[in-house]
Amino acid sequence: MSEDMADHERIDFSKISFLVVEPNRLMGQMVRDVLQMLDVQYIDRARDFETAVNVLRMGRTDIMITEWALSQEKLGRNGMDIVHWVRNDGGSPNRMMPIVMMTANSEEEYVCRARDCGVSEFVAKPYTVNGFYTRLASAIARPRQFVRIGEYFGPDRRRRRLDWAGPERRIMADAI
Amino acid sequence: MTKKPVFMPPSQELRRKAVNFKKGFKLKLEPEEIKKLEAVVEKATDQFTVEVADKLRGLRVALNDVAHSQIGADQAMQAIRTISLEIKGMGGMFKYPLLTAFAKSLNDFTRDMGVPTPIQLDIIAAQIDALYVVMGNRIQGSGSKIEMQLLSALEEAARKYRH
Repeated sequence: MSEDMADHERIDFSKISFLVVEPNRLMGQMVRDVLQMLDVQYIDRARDFETAVNVLRMGRTDIMITEWALSQEKLGRNGMDIVHWVRNDGGSPNRMMPIVMMTANSEEEYVCRARDCGVSEFVAKPYTVNGFYTRLASAIARPRQFVRIGEYFGPDRRRRRLDWAGPERRIMADAI
Repeated sequence: MTKKPVFMPPSQELRRKAVNFKKGFKLKLEPEEIKKLEAVVEKATDQFTVEVADKLRGLRVALNDVAHSQIGADQAMQAIRTISLEIKGMGGMFKYPLLTAFAKSLNDFTRDMGVPTPIQLDIIAAQIDALYVVMGNRIQGSGSKIEMQLLSALEEAARKYRH
């Protein structure tokens, strides 16, 4: 697609269903309010692993936005466990679903762990709404290829495309 | 187990469903659209102050539990970690980056901590007091030189007594 065409692309958020997994009431409400301003019509909410997975199993979620640290009562499972479930569990309805990790665990080690678990986009709290929107738009309009290597299944973790003149290094699969 | 990386083309399902040339939001928002979205956050500022006040009370209760009861101290420490992380994530969104900075300092300090020693407990108490000062005085932005010095001193103490 040419840059000119890309400049004119629009995202009709009314067509997209979201699951927001956020234990903090106010922060969950903020995400919901921002999404509604974008004309999102379908928003499911969850505060813990079990509820999130139950919603995901219904198969109506297009994008998941999740916090890393979930409800205090459910300390056994966190947002990373949900990401792992989506990417690897046989019961997952869409293993290539875009997942936005939105968390106050914003230090580099967490970003790396989230990336290595299969998160599509990372938003560090506190965030700006424009920064959040940019990540969201990227997840929807610029989906990344997926890769399976060793125990990892998720978006290609390399952001840059480098020209490679040497022998073929990668295998492109036709389907999952 | 797969040894060689196997690449799969990106799913175009969402693009097909939602990306078009007529309706919706451009990939890069216009300044007026950003303002509208920011207004959503600003509108919630009152709720934010109520929420933080509640969280700060939770921190004091948890601190008291850690200080006065050995049973349940682990759970109380977990509460301190959870609450400080939540405050860290909220402050900067509502023009309280100093609150975020103090909360981060508390969260970093307690992250891998078991039951704290008396001196560690004093530092945690001082960090919670600092959060109260920021909210009590509605200190938006990064604060003055005094607040920055306080933050720096608490971080230094935390570094010294973390383990």
